Amino acid sequence: MAGKAATTSTTYSPSPTTLKTKAPIFNEDWVRPDGRGFHQCRPAFFRTGAVNAASGSAYAEFGNTKVIVSVFGPRESKKAMMYSDIGRLNCNVSFTTFSTPLRGQGLDNKEYTAMLHKALEGSIMLETFPKTTVDVFALVLESGGSDLPVVISCASLALADAGIMMYDLIASVSVSCLGKNLVIDPILEEESSQDGSLMITCMPSRYEITQLTVTGDWSTPKINEGMQLCLDACAKLAKIMRSCLKEAALGSQE
Amino acid sequence: MEVDRPDGRSPSQLRPLSCSRGILNRAHGSASWTQGETKVLAAVYGPKAGTRKNENPEKACIEVIWKPKTGQIGKLERESEMVLKKSLESICIRSMYPNTTTSVIIQVVHDDGALLPCAINAACAALVDAGIPLKHLAVAICCSVADSGDVLLDPNKLEEEKMKAFAYLVFPNACVSVLPGGSLQVGKEPMEHGIITSVTHGAMSVDDYLHCLERGRAASAKMSEFLRRSLQPQLSADPSKAG
Amino acid sequence: MVLPNASEDLSTEMEVDAFRRLFPLRYYECHLVESIRPDGRALARARDTTIALGAVASASGSALVKIGSTTMLAAIKMEVMTPTMESPDEGCIAIDFHMPPICSPIVRPGRPAEVAPVVSKQLSDTISSSGMVDLKELSLVSGKAAWMAFLDIYCLDADGAVFDAALLSATAALSHLQIPAVSMNDDGKIVLMSEEDGERLAQEPVNKEKRKLALRSIPFSLTCILYKNYILADPTAEEESIMETQVTIVLDSSSQLISFYKPGGSVLAYTPAIQDCVALTRQRVKELQSILDEANSAMEVE
Repeated sequence: MAGKAATTSTTYSPSPTTLKTKAPIFNEDWVRPDGRGFHQCRPAFFRTGAVNAASGSAYAEFGNTKVIVSVFGPRESKKAMMYSDIGRLNCNVSFTTFSTPLRGQGLDNKEYTAMLHKALEGSIMLETFPKTTVDVFALVLESGGSDLPVVISCASLALADAGIMMYDLIASVSVSCLGKNLVIDPILEEESSQDGSLMITCMPSRYEITQLTVTGDWSTPKINEGMQLCLDACAKLAKIMRSCLKEAALGSQE
Repeated sequence: MEVDRPDGRSPSQLRPLSCSRGILNRAHGSASWTQGETKVLAAVYGPKAGTRKNENPEKACIEVIWKPKTGQIGKLERESEMVLKKSLESICIRSMYPNTTTSVIIQVVHDDGALLPCAINAACAALVDAGIPLKHLAVAICCSVADSGDVLLDPNKLEEEKMKAFAYLVFPNACVSVLPGGSLQVGKEPMEHGIITSVTHGAMSVDDYLHCLERGRAASAKMSEFLRRSLQPQLSADPSKAG
Repeated sequence: MVLPNASEDLSTEMEVDAFRRLFPLRYYECHLVESIRPDGRALARARDTTIALGAVASASGSALVKIGSTTMLAAIKMEVMTPTMESPDEGCIAIDFHMPPICSPIVRPGRPAEVAPVVSKQLSDTISSSGMVDLKELSLVSGKAAWMAFLDIYCLDADGAVFDAALLSATAALSHLQIPAVSMNDDGKIVLMSEEDGERLAQEPVNKEKRKLALRSIPFSLTCILYKNYILADPTAEEESIMETQVTIVLDSSSQLISFYKPGGSVLAYTPAIQDCVALTRQRVKELQSILDEANSAMEVE
């Protein structure tokens, strides 16, 4: 193990000979690298029941972003935990070593873990499973941009698959601000050159937001425009998630 | 059978064995086991109350902690720990003290080949010293296969590097029964012919492996005899068990 | 008239389920006397196995393997290293096996599974002792640069026979591996070659074309459970937890024994049982070899 760690530091991945010139994003005729319209999301694919060993699970694929979420429980809380009238939610997000273009360490992502917890907490009826814990574990198989929104939507679907009581499904979408343009559901390349990003996590049928994060440089009208874009996209996304659940239910009936 | 060994042993000759028990004061049971230059110290603590998570609380549990001679514990040591734990659990009567954990600490004093078998033998002697109830004893042996297909027993480090493959085998020690009917038989084979544990490294043919088994069995009888002898004196000193 | 019937059906069903949970061993014994397993398999039969190559777009080689519901995702990332003084013409393969918390209720974040490093070690041992990859093939410039192949295997769903699935995904990923075309620049660094560079030929190409490794004998494995006189091939997680004695045999395509691994267990293995297990593994090797060949030829067609 020690020997391997020493060798890792001395290796490098071969870089391309010609460095790509940065895309001229301020031009009027700039097109997105994958040819999408600015307000067009990547095709979303969801499947529930991806992991048999879990109480509920879901797999999500948005372009190159691929995520698996498993839900365990409600099960016994850790021994050190105090008595609690309501249930607990425990989250974890980690990446595979091969998820990013450069090989990573495959460690837990503390920031995403905290964000996932906050995003889901508001939608779950914690009082329905007192004294116990529901574990939501996510693994990003491949990171292709907009990882956190995909993880959150996928986690909500996995919770539904596990039969955990929720007020509504949660859908999450982000937009990036690139110069004058707002692009929805950005890919990795766009995220790396963005000026600011905005992510909304909401319960579309209740029209309630559970989490809103804004980073970077935004003007008020831009924020309004971005939020409206996200909310519309969330509503559409929730429909896709709902139909995925219905299909799974029909499939199990047959 | 014409393989020359650097130390002039014959292919199936083991290195000199020695075993001493009760060498550590604070441990509930301890033993050291030496095979030639390879020496391992084992200490047993327990049984202590409770088992770790994911262990069956209806049975006694064994935990193995491997201490290498120098440096930190790596994947190799983790594998050794796992093999030791599973092997020891299979010789213990685990239904006797449910929901307890017995710790076995293995300290490598010197590694000159056949380290894992040496550690298993040491642990087994230490378990007896601690008075942990066992179904039977176990003896471990290392068989190595040369490029020519010859089997050499109990290789030292130098020989291990030259071999194409080797197998660590653990056999049960035959019970000397006072009951009529003699030793236990499973089907046509005597009980001590079955293997408890097998770990191999390197590529060999299936026949080579079966050959190893055969030679290992023959040698294990000798080792069983030695293990029994070195554990005996203290038992006969105990008046309740004398005769 | 329909209702009472339905409830009766339910009650008998409940009883079987309760029996299974309360007396798992008796439940299995009832099946074993009939030479069948609760999932409908014969004792010697392995679960359905599938291999999908190229599942990870950002990796040079990857494979998704399913044995029953046990799922493994393996991917290889190629990096450049300076070879060691002892073997200047050889590259290196670093294998790591991960059990993330998603794969099993036993694994929790921050407390990695005990078996993960052990399986990791066994995979490295198996692949190196089978000699399937000639490390010289991973050399770029003698003494200066060589490939370091990082082979990471993730268990996505653990439902028994974890080692078998991990080994299959590792070998499948290696068979799918495409070594990228690279050249050495003026600073002695290895850089990727794009198509325009090939025309310019400003740099001396070290590896002109994308190429595959020439794999020698490929190792395949089968895990069996020994219980009394029964041998159960390819156990599920439930079977592994009820009947503890496991034997894992690795044979390569030329029938060499790469590993015979039996870590303890209350059932002793006698020669006839050992030979039966080896025979089962021989059959399984043929099966897996053809599944892997099929997956590879399907890739070529595309």
